[in-house]
Amino acid sequence: MDVNTFAAYGYFFLIIFLVVGSYSYIYHLYKNRKDSSGVDYEHYSDMALKDDIGDAPVKPISDEKKK
Amino acid sequence: MFHWLEKHPFLFAVGVFVTIAFAGLIEIVPNFAQASRPTIGTKPYSTLEIAGRQVYIKNGCNTCHSQLIRPFKAETDRYGHYSLSGEYAYDRPFLWGSKRTGPDLMRVGNYRTTEWHENHMMDPVKIVQGSIMPAYPWLFTTKADIETAFAEQVTDQEFFGVPYNKPIPMKDGTTQVVKLAKSIAGANADALAEAKKVASKMKNQDVKDIVAHGEVPEIVALIAYLNSLK
Amino acid sequence: MENRPLEYDYTVAKMFMLTTVVFGIVGMSIGVLLAFELAFPGLNTILGKSAAQYTAFGRLRPLHTDAVAFGFTVSGIFATWYYVGQRVLKVSMAESKFLMFIGKLQFWLYVVGVAAAVVSLFMGYTTSKEYAEFEWPIDIAIVVVWVLWGVSIFGLIGIRREKSLYISVWYYIATFLGVAMLYLFNNMEIPTMLATDAIGETNMGSWMHSVSMYAGTNDALVQWWYGHNAVAFVFTVPIIAMIYYFLPKESGQAIYSYKLSLLSFWGLMFVYLWAGGHHLLYSTVPDWVQTMGSIFSIVLILPSWGSAINMLLTMKGEWQQVASSPLIKFMVLASTFYMFSTLEGPIQAIKSVNAIAHFTDWIVGHVHDGTLGWVGFMIMASLFHMAPRVFKRELYSKSLMATQFWIQTLGIVFYFTSMWISGITQGMMWRAHDEYGNLAYSFIDTVNVLHPYYALRGTGGLLFLIGFFMFSYNIYKTMTAGKRLDSEPANASPMGA
Repeated sequence: MDVNTFAAYGYFFLIIFLVVGSYSYIYHLYKNRKDSSGVDYEHYSDMALKDDIGDAPVKPISDEKKK
Repeated sequence: MFHWLEKHPFLFAVGVFVTIAFAGLIEIVPNFAQASRPTIGTKPYSTLEIAGRQVYIKNGCNTCHSQLIRPFKAETDRYGHYSLSGEYAYDRPFLWGSKRTGPDLMRVGNYRTTEWHENHMMDPVKIVQGSIMPAYPWLFTTKADIETAFAEQVTDQEFFGVPYNKPIPMKDGTTQVVKLAKSIAGANADALAEAKKVASKMKNQDVKDIVAHGEVPEIVALIAYLNSLK
Repeated sequence: MENRPLEYDYTVAKMFMLTTVVFGIVGMSIGVLLAFELAFPGLNTILGKSAAQYTAFGRLRPLHTDAVAFGFTVSGIFATWYYVGQRVLKVSMAESKFLMFIGKLQFWLYVVGVAAAVVSLFMGYTTSKEYAEFEWPIDIAIVVVWVLWGVSIFGLIGIRREKSLYISVWYYIATFLGVAMLYLFNNMEIPTMLATDAIGETNMGSWMHSVSMYAGTNDALVQWWYGHNAVAFVFTVPIIAMIYYFLPKESGQAIYSYKLSLLSFWGLMFVYLWAGGHHLLYSTVPDWVQTMGSIFSIVLILPSWGSAINMLLTMKGEWQQVASSPLIKFMVLASTFYMFSTLEGPIQAIKSVNAIAHFTDWIVGHVHDGTLGWVGFMIMASLFHMAPRVFKRELYSKSLMATQFWIQTLGIVFYFTSMWISGITQGMMWRAHDEYGNLAYSFIDTVNVLHPYYALRGTGGLLFLIGFFMFSYNIYKTMTAGKRLDSEPANASPMGA
């Protein structure tokens, strides 16, 4: 298999992956309001709005350490 | 991509990298495998021409002049045959340019002479009414850097296999050899000999004096390079 | 000291804010000079005939592009990173002596690198590859600065309190990785000194010279893969990082859709890299690369507009803020210009349009819509937002800011309209034939006709530069004479009259 064939295969599978991958991703985002850890996607915007050093993080990293 | 990726910076970075590297891999690598072979008649540059090419680059000529003739009638009428990939085989770096404030120079050697360049570089407006090109009078007295040009040629030969001192096939079926000296002294001598030929067609007294003194003014190297563009 | 509550530490951000302003003035001033050199060629010897080689267009042009890209814009990127990074990760630079050291080291090396770059470009040491003109010793310095920035990004992420990375951080990471990859591959070169041994000499020619690893068409392909994506990862990606933080924060509105930002991020990452081929249409690179470049450029509209629309919708129901706050005006106009230039770009990438547009001023006009309207406005807006928080003072003058906004907007309009007309005129004249099939115009005809547009463009650039001086003055006065603030403003930045 020379480089061109390799590139052609790469390109082909890429298109397949993109079509399947990105559409299912779009569907996934459209369907779900919350991500799998139970946080509403839109709450992540608070990371910018409540960004004082004293503000509570949306998803504190210390949660995991406690477990 | 999926919620957890934004919480795992390392994997996130890997994901971004793979995504952006993919295009380069598919788009660029295949072309490299068949690196452009020189067309028949395309020769490597001589020492003086390389020195001139360095003067061209140093003064940013490529910021206003392209060296790429596109395959349109208007362009081939104006500048000559459209560019072929193999014609650039010895161009490191390429000098296509991205802006044509002045005309294309890909084949300027076909229709401009040493005398024309001499007068034009000294004062462009005198030759072309309304030209907005700056004048380059200092090139008539500054010395070309033959040593660095030679170093570039040796690099070309050693690292990229550019065929100096080897027969190069020409369009008419003959072969030509582009000489590369064995030492700096030899390179200086070769460049000077070539420079004398160019300077003999020039009128500027400074240029003649410097060449007679055994050195090469930048303008001579530059004109040698421009004349080689065919 | 011990009992003081923890605060964000903006020491490094302040340093880079300073260089943003300084390099902005340098780069834009050179740009204005260049613009007027094209209209009035006498200016090529503005400092006299003896200095002519240092002020000629060809020598100065790389200085302009590199000063605004790697001086002004990259400083802006670093400054905002050292501000935004801490805040959205909820961790202070003061918490890590190591990161503070890295940040300062990065700053000083960066300043040394820029100084070396400026001097070497003035002297004519250039590789000629656009936006990658620096010779190899400076390339190495740039790589070191970049690696230090990477250490700083991932170091700060490593000690963060917020588990999830905010949108801006994604874009900063992408900037870091993208530029690293592109810069390395495009600057593969062999210093000519390395060939010295082969010939048995001890010292041969200049240290500041190298030969590109790629030749001809391949070199062009790598260069424009770089050149196009340098635009992506210096003028687009990090600027999106800024607007995703500063617009919501200044307006107090949450991003319209976090999901849309996810989608446009990955879309942009994937699509952008393919589009480089549109710089090489009708050249000698393989046809399929050209076509791919064209197609992906059109596809690129989607993720670009995804971000831009997200920004404009964030202001939904809050448009009175645009009227009342000049700072919001800057950001909203920036995202509008982003939409505008991401539409204009794909149009120019269509092959038949490109046949006219390529090599003309229209391309220059397009670049400047993006850099003046989008990059310039957004970086200035970011600094305006940061200043009161960093210096703990009220912004010096609101009216000055509003005046600056209108002057600069007028400047941009002058700029792109004149370049549109001049570019299309030029393209049409080059290809015009008379009734017998001969070329209708000699090249110089096409130059002479452009004079008024070049003069107008120079005026536009000058207006923008004047506005930038007003910006610099406003920031300086904020720093030294603004009313002191007791507490950090949550949203709308306080402004004096």
